[in-house]
This record gives sequence, structure tokens and C-alpha cells, in this order.
Amino acid sequence: MIRFDRFRYTYPGASQPALADVTFAVEQGELVLVTGLSGAGKSTLLRCINGLVPHFSGGQVGGVIAVAGHDPVAEGPAVLSQIVGFVFQDPESQFVVDEVADEIAFALENAAVPRPEMRARVEAVLEMMGLTPLRRRRIDTLSGGEKQRVAIAAALALRPQILLLDEPTSQLDPRASEEVLQALVRLNRQLGLTILLSEHRLERVLPYVDRMVHLPGPGQPPQAGPPRSVLRHVDPLPPLVALGRALAWEPLPLSVEEGRPFAERALQDCQVRRASSPAVLGDLEPILKVENLSFAFAGPVVLQGVNLVVRRGELAALMGRNGAGKTTLLRCIVGLLQPQEGEIALAGRSIWGRETAEVCRQAAYLPQEPDSLLFADTVAEELWVTLRNHGLQAQPPIHPHALLDRLGLQAVRAAYPRDLSVGQRQRVALGAVTVTAPRLLLLDEPTRGMDYAAKESLLALLREWRAEGMGVLLVTHDVELVAQAADRVIVLEQGRVVADGPPAEVLTADADFAPQVARLFPACGWLTAAEALARLTPPAARPIQSSAEGDAA
Amino acid sequence: MIDVRVWLLWALTALVAASSTRNPLYIVLLLLVVALVGVFWAPAHRRLPLAPLRFALVAVPLAAAFSGLTAHLGDTVLFCLPPWLPLLGGAVTLESLVAGTINGLTLTVIWGAFAVLNQVAAVHELVRLAPRAFRDAGLVLSIALTYLPQTSRSLARIREAQAVRGHRLRGPRDWLPILIPLLISGLERSTGLSEAMVARGYGAVSDRPQPLPARGLLALGLFLLLGGWMTWLFVPRWAAGALAAMIAGGGLVGAVVWWGGRSVQRTTYRVHRWGWRDVGVMLGCSLLLLLVLLPLGGQRTLAYNPYPLLAAPPFDPLVGLGLLGLLAPAAAAPGPRRPAA
Repeated sequence: MIRFDRFRYTYPGASQPALADVTFAVEQGELVLVTGLSGAGKSTLLRCINGLVPHFSGGQVGGVIAVAGHDPVAEGPAVLSQIVGFVFQDPESQFVVDEVADEIAFALENAAVPRPEMRARVEAVLEMMGLTPLRRRRIDTLSGGEKQRVAIAAALALRPQILLLDEPTSQLDPRASEEVLQALVRLNRQLGLTILLSEHRLERVLPYVDRMVHLPGPGQPPQAGPPRSVLRHVDPLPPLVALGRALAWEPLPLSVEEGRPFAERALQDCQVRRASSPAVLGDLEPILKVENLSFAFAGPVVLQGVNLVVRRGELAALMGRNGAGKTTLLRCIVGLLQPQEGEIALAGRSIWGRETAEVCRQAAYLPQEPDSLLFADTVAEELWVTLRNHGLQAQPPIHPHALLDRLGLQAVRAAYPRDLSVGQRQRVALGAVTVTAPRLLLLDEPTRGMDYAAKESLLALLREWRAEGMGVLLVTHDVELVAQAADRVIVLEQGRVVADGPPAEVLTADADFAPQVARLFPACGWLTAAEALARLTPPAARPIQSSAEGDAA
Repeated sequence: MIDVRVWLLWALTALVAASSTRNPLYIVLLLLVVALVGVFWAPAHRRLPLAPLRFALVAVPLAAAFSGLTAHLGDTVLFCLPPWLPLLGGAVTLESLVAGTINGLTLTVIWGAFAVLNQVAAVHELVRLAPRAFRDAGLVLSIALTYLPQTSRSLARIREAQAVRGHRLRGPRDWLPILIPLLISGLERSTGLSEAMVARGYGAVSDRPQPLPARGLLALGLFLLLGGWMTWLFVPRWAAGALAAMIAGGGLVGAVVWWGGRSVQRTTYRVHRWGWRDVGVMLGCSLLLLLVLLPLGGQRTLAYNPYPLLAAPPFDPLVGLGLLGLLAPAAAAPGPRRPAA
């Protein structure tokens, strides 16, 4: 269905190719995962398949690419649109009309499909994606998962043979991600649709894929093949795979279900030490205190009677479904929104009547889109701008030079911030809000679109700051990150705090938020692969055959 | 639901009515009617007519101040500005302030009517009303219009992001940290959308150039139209020939547009079935247009001039009743629309 043969692509003005020596083939009906570090060329590879690259980007192409017998480079994306559907990372960026059914019909109207056929196709796609009850809903009232399903439905309306998805779950909570992935699996299994998707959170997708294409870095040839063979050469890995590789589980489990027999055997064979009790942080000085906070926009109530505390040297994770009110809570804390009720105190002092700029000197807030912060000519200048805004340029609490060192940005200090990778831009934005040496750090989905390596680097930095006494409130959907980093987990549901406690208690109480290791060893209280490995002492687990082997083959 | 064409007729009727009268009583009545229709068709959580009120709070004082400071007419002098002030120097009168207030209220009625239209009719539905030959231009326009709310959200997000790093808006230079990310995000968004549209088949069917004869005839039609108009203006003795050229040119352009439209392939997903609501609103609009445009008895009460001395405006109950015809959509409104979860 898709064939790359020594394919090569170089962006205009680039010194090295973004894709080099790409050789692999995808058969009809396969579900293929494209993975790799940020900037390794995942999106570029997908865009080559429907001709957006090089038709929109320009640049130089070499080698062969064939898609269902067509040449995307020669024929272009308009022609390939009849064969290949494309779903972009941010579904909202591709919506053109207001209502669900109209959005799906948009491509069919453009293609002048006769009305009776159009109606039949729209109905079929709505049904397929579970959107029939939402057909007359305005798109801006849908949840993140629903919007992503509408985007997929819109791409399917032209009945493509191939569906490409660029990080389709990066903005979704675990439940919404699962809904989207299940929908894709249905399309793949029932209709035989060929699907290629790029994704950073491998733990979500690996159980479903037939084949994996790993891009090690710009200009390096990709590794392609069955997931188990490719994963042997990939690092870092999702927790289950890391555990399986460390304990030599064969065949390597890709899903928790596949891993359970190994886990049971490991628990029998090994001397197991239970997780130690988490450190008690209750006595530490509170930096942030939110009491009985309620907030409503013009209509619906977003936050209702929220109480929470973040202490000095504590990393608290705030979780919840899309639309639960997490971002609104952060915006209230820094004074961007005025709550109707309740009290917010920073280091014992109410924020009431204080300017956002003043509050943010003590409580740094990194919003979801770091690009909204970046405008200066160089990375270093971004930090100086914040200092000048606060009148601190003469005596900076942290010298930008030193902060850039800690952020790992010294080598790119003179670079234009928007030219950097997603992870680097996130760190520049982090530097721009923390150069005032705040006592509290509020992070809103900081790992969105980040690869494992960038996440590790962010995590190391947060741990350093926590050790120095900074309080951190981290809003995220990334349960594995929370399992690794958080001292405490707070769950928000429909504007109310429904859980607040140690990660081992809160994360295991709800299947949506349970990390892979907790689901693998449900009674042990472990959350991460490192914890499990540390407590599963020799004799080492020996390879066993799994019932999942046949399924996975 | 009411057909988008009927809504367009309603908004245009409000525009005609507001432009046809200077009588403040009728204008206030129109404003109330438009606000009421807006309230009835608003989602349940936005049932206060705050948007027209906010617009009026800006437009009316501005228009009154502009008129008061620049039109030095009227007998009731409130105070005088020094005569050496260019344009502003002279008497500021009560009459000129009232005239400005009427202008502000008229603007509010027109703005309010189109705000209602914007609230109830999707842009792409309106664009579909354009002739087929202008399909591509209409589509581009509809997409451009979806950018306005997106840009507004983007602006709010960037202002917040800059505020959290201590940025304060004090002067024009302080807009730089907001405008640069806004511009870049706008460019990125437009590229992203164009990629998404092409990836969804836009251009696969319609990117066919018009055949050469059609383009030639269009050029000839425009030449005749323009040439005829110029001749009409500057060579009065050839007026008859100029008129004939304009008619021929206009006909040719119309024919090419119609012919070009036939070759554009377009289908429509949603078809509206006309019902009693549509008929009711059309009747209401027709009644109003009859009373405003035909020289019936009450038509002269539409005119009102506050100069030279302010006097009470006249009021004809029949005209007032006719203006209430614009209320028809309120009567045809569906039950309360709840905000989506």
C-alpha cells in the first residue's frame, strides 16, 4: 500500500536531510506506529505520504515513494486526498464549519458528491465513530476526545484507503485517548483501513499496532518492523516494555494483559519487598492555600468549593478529564480570573487585589502553549525580558546565564527561540517564567508533544527545584510522569476535588489514572518500572511463554 | 429553525428601517425589538442583551460627542469652545448632541441586527447564498471570517501569557510582545488550515481554470461596462450609446458568471424545508417594508430634525405597529436553548 525506497527529503535551507535512506513498506490493513524523538521527522514522514511535503514546504526529494500506486511528490496532496485521509495534531486547527455533521460533509460538498450519497456517507461515518448523538452539536461545545473523533470522521468521509494521524492523543486525557484509539482499532480491524499514526506516549498505542517505524534522529535511517523487534533498539521506553526488557521477559509484552503472566511469575520467583511508606510532607510550610474556591464563566460553573494546599518542596500533580477545570484553577491562582467565591493565599498572603504580574513573581505559571510567551530574538533575551518586566534586571535573583545552564540551553542561548524543538521551546518558556526565582511553580501540561528524553530532562530539573524548596503544582494527563514525579496527586472532576492523597493510593483507585506498573502488580503499591525493579530481587525472572504470544504474533 | 435567507432578509429590513428614519422614538423601538429578538434566540446562559448595550455605551457617547463638537448648529447653546480651535471651535448645542445621539442609536440598531444574524446563522450558510461562480471566493471569505474569533482567543491567550511574566500594557511599545506572537501564530494557523483543507480534498475538483473564451467575454463585458460608464459621465451627447454599452456589458458579465457557475460542481448537505416560522418572519418584514417605503400616511413621521430648536418627535401608532413586524422571529423562537455540557 505504501512503499518507501531510499527516500530522502531535505527542508529548504537545511544543511542535513530531515529524512534519509527511508526504506520500508506498509501492507494494506496494517496499523503502523511512527515514533522517534522530537524533531526526528515523524510529522515530515506522514506529510510525505499525502504529498503535503514537499508541496507545501518546498525542499529537495530523492528516492521513491509510492502510495497505492500513486506518486505523492508528482501528483500532490489534492489528488492524494482521495486516497489518504490526514488528521492533524490539533483537531481545532482543521475545522472549517460549526456543526459536527456539516464539518464531516464539508469535504463531500467540495467533492460535489450527490446529496443522497453524501447523506449516507455522513451517517455511516457518524455511526462508525460513535458520533450519531452529537451530529447537531456545535463543535466548540465538544470535549477534546469528541473533537478528535470528529476530525477523524471528517477525514474518513472521502473514504480514504489510508488514514494518517499526527499525535492524535497528545491533548487528550487517558479515557478520551482510549476512546480515540479504540475507534481507530475498529476502523482498522473491521474496515481493513491502513493506519499510520505518530505518537510519543507509546504505552497508549503499542498494544494495538502491527508494525513500528522508529526514527532515531534527523537524517538517520529509520528502523521498521514488528514492535517487539524495533523496541529492542529504542530508548527510553514505556514502563512495561522497560520492565520486560530488564527482566528478559520473552516475548516482550506490549500490553498490561500480556505482561500479567510474567508479573505473576516474577512475584512467585522473586523475593518481594513492598513499597515503603511515602515521606510525610504534612508538616512542611504551605506555599499555596486554596480554600472553598468557586468560579463560573458566564454560564456553567467550572470550579466548586475547591480546597487544596501545595507545600514547600512538594510536587503535587493535578489530574482530571479534559474540561474538569484544571487550567481554570491555575488561572485563578495567578489572578488571571477572578473567582466568585473563596480565598487563595500565596506564602500566607492573599492574592486578592494583587496584579497578576506581582503574583507571578512568587508563583511562576507556564501555560499550555509556550509559544505564546516567546517573542524575543534570542533565548537569553527571553529571560532578560522577564527580568526587565519585573524591574529586576539590575539584581536578578538568578542570573540568566546560570539558569540557562541548568535548563540545558547554554548551547542555544543565541538562537531564535521559535527555531528550537518542542522540548527546547518548553524549557525556554520555563526559564522565562522562573528567572524571578519563584517559590511556587504552576505547570499546565508541560510534557505535551515531548518525547521520553525531553520528559526525563524536565523531570530532573523539577526534582532539583523541589529539593531546593520550590513547591510545584503540575497539571498533566501523563499518568506515567505523575507516577515518577509526584509526591501527591489531586484529582479534579467537574470542578470539584474528588481525590487528594499519595500517588500510590490515588492513581490505583481509578483505572483511568493507573500507570502500567500499578496495573501489572496491583497489590504491591509500585508505580514505576524503577520501583518494581528495585523491589523484585534475584533470583532473576527467567523467560516464560505467554498466552499472549500467539495473539501478538 | 428559520432559513438563513429569511434571517438575512430580517437583518436587511432592520437596516432599511434604521436608515429610513431619524425619529428617535422609532429608533429606540427598533433597538428594543432587535434586542428582544437577540435575547429570544440566544443560548439560555446569555439571555441578557449585554452585547448591544455595551456597543451602545461606546457608540452613543462617541457619536454625540463628535456631533456636539463638530456641528455648531442649533439654538440651545450649552457652552462655547474657543473659536481658534480648528473644527471644534464654536457653540456646543443641545440639538447637535441629540442629533449625534440619534446617529449612535441608529448604528446600535444596525450593529444589533447583524449581531443577531451572526448569532443565528453560520457564516458558511451565508456564503452558500453567493452565486456558484463565486464559490471559491466565498469559501475563502468564510474561512477568513472564522479567523476573527480564533484570533480574538489567540490574543487573549497571548496577553495572559505575557502578563504572567510581568508584562504590563502602558504604551504602544508594550504591544510588541503581544503582536509578534499573534502575527506568528496567525501565520502558522493559516498555513495549518490551508494544509488541512487541501488534505481534505479542497481544490481537487474546483481547481480548473475558466476556458479562454469565457475569460475573453468577461473582459469584453467589463470593458463595455466601464467604457459605457465613463462615456455616460464625460460625453453626455453619447448618453444613449453609453447606456446601451453598459446594458450590453452588464448582460455579458452576468451571462459569463451564470455560465461559469454552471461548470462549478457543488452539492449541499443540508436542505432547509420552509415552514410557518419562515413565512411569519417574511410577513413581518414585508409589513414593515411596506410602511417604511410606501408613501402612506405615517411615513412623514419617520423624518425628524432636532435643528434649529429641539422639539418632541411625532409618533404614528401605525408605523410603531409596523416596526413591531420585526419581532416575528421572537415569536418563532424555539424553546430555551440550553448551553451544551
